[in-house]
Amino acid sequence: MTGNPFAEESKRTAAWLWQVFTGVGLVILVGLHLVANHFVAKGGLRDFAEVVAYLRNPVILLLELLFLLCVTTHALLGVRAIFLDLGISERTERRLDLVLKIVGVLTVAYGLGMTFIVIR
Amino acid sequence: MANRDYRKVSRAGLWLDVRRRRLGMWAYTINRITGVGLVIYLYLHLGVLSLLTRGQSSWDSFVALARSPFYLALDVILLAGVLLHGLNGLRIGLTGFGIGVRAQKTLFIVLTIVSAIALGVAALKIFRL
Repeated sequence: MTGNPFAEESKRTAAWLWQVFTGVGLVILVGLHLVANHFVAKGGLRDFAEVVAYLRNPVILLLELLFLLCVTTHALLGVRAIFLDLGISERTERRLDLVLKIVGVLTVAYGLGMTFIVIR
Repeated sequence: MANRDYRKVSRAGLWLDVRRRRLGMWAYTINRITGVGLVIYLYLHLGVLSLLTRGQSSWDSFVALARSPFYLALDVILLAGVLLHGLNGLRIGLTGFGIGVRAQKTLFIVLTIVSAIALGVAALKIFRL
């Protein structure tokens, strides 16, 4: 173990690069999401009618869906990195990858479904 | 996949071991703990957003509850996690590409101070002080 574990961790694997790219995207998208939904909105939160109007704006909808995609990918890659910290076997790692892919697809599908129910 | 060896076991075990801890290890632990918290929050948030599909009264009742001081305090805690994880994450990304490696301790300290200032300003805004 070195003084800085990130020195060991920051190998440029595809997963690590996705983690970084989605992370950079999230810094921007989380900022926009928080400002738009909690700092600009009256009282810190939008009421139902305001949420529907907000999501019916195509630019906002695109940004929120991009946010969902980035945050899900980033979160599940983070969960994967933590499991790898536990020293799992290659077989377990393959199973974990499959489970996380399924969870990721279900999460995005749930978010998309919910969004379209709200704005229809 | 990189790093599949015995060191991972000790790495995970060292998350909460505060003995002889260097700054890099604190940064690592903060990033892991805030990351776990944010993943849990993400799924709670998605669960709460399902209230929108139940119509106006469900959502607006929740909004009234979420404007209470207790929920606002939870928002401040959430924002602290987002800021620490996000800004520390940027440092990790930069150093992973070989940028600012020698200055990473300074970067960590500066970004933590930036997080604290941003959190202070946001908390004032959240509580409308």
